[in-house]
Amino acid sequence: MNRTWTSRLVIFLTLAFLIGPFFVIIAAALSGGNSLAFPPQGFSLRWFIAVFEVKSFRASFGLSMFLAVFGTLAALLLGVPAAYAVTRYRIPFGEAVRMAVAAPIIVPGIIVGLALLRYLVVPIGMTVTVALFLAHTALVLPYAVRVVAASLENLRPDIEEAAVLLGCTRFGAFRRTVLPNIRGGILAAFILGFVTSFNQVPVSLFLSGPGVRTLPIDMLAYIEMTYDPSVAALSALLAFLSIGIVFAAERFLGLSRYV
Amino acid sequence: MRTNRAEALALVLPAALFATAIFLVPVGILLSEAFRSGGTWSVDAYFEFFSQPLNQTVFFRTLKLGVLVTAVSAVIGYVAAFCIVGLEPRNRGRIFGLVVLPLMISPVARTYAWIVILGRTGIVNQAILGLGISDTPVRILFTETAVFIGLLQLFMPLMIISLVSAMENLPRDAISAARVLGANWLQVFLRVILPLTREGLVIGGTLVFTGSLTAYITPAILGGAKVLMLETLLYQRVTVANDFLSASVIAMILIVMSFSANVLLKRVATSRRGGTP
Amino acid sequence: MSDGYVSLEALTLAYGRSVAVDRLDLSIRRGELLALLGPSGCGKTTTMRAVAGLLEPRSGRIRIDGADVTRTPPNRRNVGLVFQSYALFPHLSVFENAAFGLRLRRDSKSGVESRTRAILATVGLENLAGRNPSELSGGQQQRLALARSLVMEPKLLLLDEPLSNLDARLRLEMRTELQRVQIETGVTMVFVTHDQSEALALADRIVVMRDGAVVQTGTPEEIYNRPRTAFVADFVGFDNIFSCREGMLVSDSGSVDRTGNVPDSGALAWRPADVVVGSGSLRGRVVASSFAGQHREYVLESPLGRIKAQVPAGEPAHPIGGEVAFALPPGKAHPLPDDGG
Repeated sequence: MNRTWTSRLVIFLTLAFLIGPFFVIIAAALSGGNSLAFPPQGFSLRWFIAVFEVKSFRASFGLSMFLAVFGTLAALLLGVPAAYAVTRYRIPFGEAVRMAVAAPIIVPGIIVGLALLRYLVVPIGMTVTVALFLAHTALVLPYAVRVVAASLENLRPDIEEAAVLLGCTRFGAFRRTVLPNIRGGILAAFILGFVTSFNQVPVSLFLSGPGVRTLPIDMLAYIEMTYDPSVAALSALLAFLSIGIVFAAERFLGLSRYV
Repeated sequence: MRTNRAEALALVLPAALFATAIFLVPVGILLSEAFRSGGTWSVDAYFEFFSQPLNQTVFFRTLKLGVLVTAVSAVIGYVAAFCIVGLEPRNRGRIFGLVVLPLMISPVARTYAWIVILGRTGIVNQAILGLGISDTPVRILFTETAVFIGLLQLFMPLMIISLVSAMENLPRDAISAARVLGANWLQVFLRVILPLTREGLVIGGTLVFTGSLTAYITPAILGGAKVLMLETLLYQRVTVANDFLSASVIAMILIVMSFSANVLLKRVATSRRGGTP
Repeated sequence: MSDGYVSLEALTLAYGRSVAVDRLDLSIRRGELLALLGPSGCGKTTTMRAVAGLLEPRSGRIRIDGADVTRTPPNRRNVGLVFQSYALFPHLSVFENAAFGLRLRRDSKSGVESRTRAILATVGLENLAGRNPSELSGGQQQRLALARSLVMEPKLLLLDEPLSNLDARLRLEMRTELQRVQIETGVTMVFVTHDQSEALALADRIVVMRDGAVVQTGTPEEIYNRPRTAFVADFVGFDNIFSCREGMLVSDSGSVDRTGNVPDSGALAWRPADVVVGSGSLRGRVVASSFAGQHREYVLESPLGRIKAQVPAGEPAHPIGGEVAFALPPGKAHPLPDDGG
């Protein structure tokens, strides 16, 4: 067999393994039957509609959205100055600071969730929602710093000096010359952070209370109880949501340049 | 590079303090708990933990699956990366995008698909029954095989991405040069590609191994209570028995394993550089 | 065309749908130093990769020393290739780079050692054997790449733009080096270049390529003095080329009646040095004038478009912007029979 064709076959098989399951799940979600099966029994959109009628899904979707949007924004608020400092200054104890900011990537999420539950929620009486918010912010922080730092590194530091020489204040120079140029990086960081937070499970495992659950945790709980295709439908919807966001980001921003 | 300390600290401290307060301190306390059992500093909790046969099984299973998933994804990853790098730039970008895509999708959704495929009435079993390979459905779900497949699908993209970037940085014509000098494909891989892409292998390997160790969803959905891994065991110990001591021990094991994997892979990567003069 | 030591017969090469080389015939003699000369994109590097076995031909045949190697993989051809980028292995020392091929052949350890040392001595790198390739200068890297191929005693050594990455001084040095190595080892060498002076200075024979086909083959003298097409003429320094139609010299910008002095078809070409400035029947305006030591170069705007001329530096200079008479002497005209311009 020709080498080009061998290579195409390899790529096809790899992609089939990585992406194929989504097609299966979409097909299963389109089933008309009452339990999960493939090939689907008849064709129907009923499970896609049923998803919206599950009350807990609506609540947990709202919570996950809230955490993903505001957790990521908070992480950017902390992360952009940190990224600026990391790329433009020689920081005292630079390595230690870098480690502290990167720690949430290294430490397994389940441990973080448990630690927060034991030492913040229980003793201080902090609400689970606040703990979730803090945890998701910290979780996204390393990504925010890394992505924004990457786009700052691609920007010449002397344009700010030029702006200051032309009469800008230090902050004005940042706002007028740096910020417009790293907007793409910040947006990329936001999308990456949003997706990371929205899909996050281990951190949130222990951080749930009555009526307070993130969507993935809710889905896990639902899977344990029932075997109907509604989770398949929800999974398909979420997959489309992620793909749509990423596709739009790649199309309009070139997301892959920052990751 | 500016050196104004006050400015730099003012910019970086909020992030660093936040991460310290929310992450380092609580996690540090949690980790120290196992050493403070019984009122004094000791490592008894670790001996206690490893004396339980179930815990031993779970530990070795986690290690085994981590190593296996890393090794298999490296093998497939090299072949796939080699093919992807050989594509024209336009197609390379597209295929690369398709490899990255699953990473953006909820792991719950990704793992759930395998229930449909591997379940009692799933696609694989229907094929097995239909082809007459077996008369009764084969149990795949809630076995190590299912967890292995789920983890492989979940983390292989990380390996492929790392290896593709490493291969794109191979010096131009290095592979061709080796071919012309008489190397067959196996020799090209062992003598040129492997030594020059070791760093990518280390990064990919660390990501895949650490990911497999600390995955919760995959063993929870595809392994269930039958195939516990460290992470699901931790959850079970806490929720079922309020056993925070075991949780602390497992947390330490997970962190130590991730770190040692990274260190080990780095050492493998940097050893035997250069040749005899 | 199968009499040569290496012969390419109706070789067609393509990347995907774009055909780079179309039905190429070429014969290479044993022990010669052949240059493939042409502008970038003419298919010369593609041809070379195919001869090395790195690109499978769409059709046609490649023979080396009587054997058909068209389907032989590159690792079994024993053809050496010195890449334009050198393609040295960054993870191996200078010595191990040179020994790479020998080690694959599982030669005896002492044999590998002595032969590698000998070849490194040949190219003057014996004292740098323990270094990394990145610690070598451009010229040293080039010589290491050469040594790495030569040590295999290839049936044929291919060099892709061997001098293009070197500065002017090193380039002269490597020219002599290549010629010396070729005479010393007797290896058949083919090198690809876009630089006509390189080809003229080095090669025993030159093959000029354009758009995937051979346009002219000959010794350096033949190519330099008797180009057969405007393309080749332009390449070897005939800067003033005009086509001939019914007694007229024709260019893109105009024509001049030269009845009796020009053929009815084909083209005529003059080198800058053959253009007479200061007298003659044609008139032009000086748009550029530059002093170059031994001579002065002019660009004249004339009814035939831009004319490049070169006169001995001793003659009085003509000011830029001024009108000047010039001539294209019929006796110095070089006919290009194969070409309409």
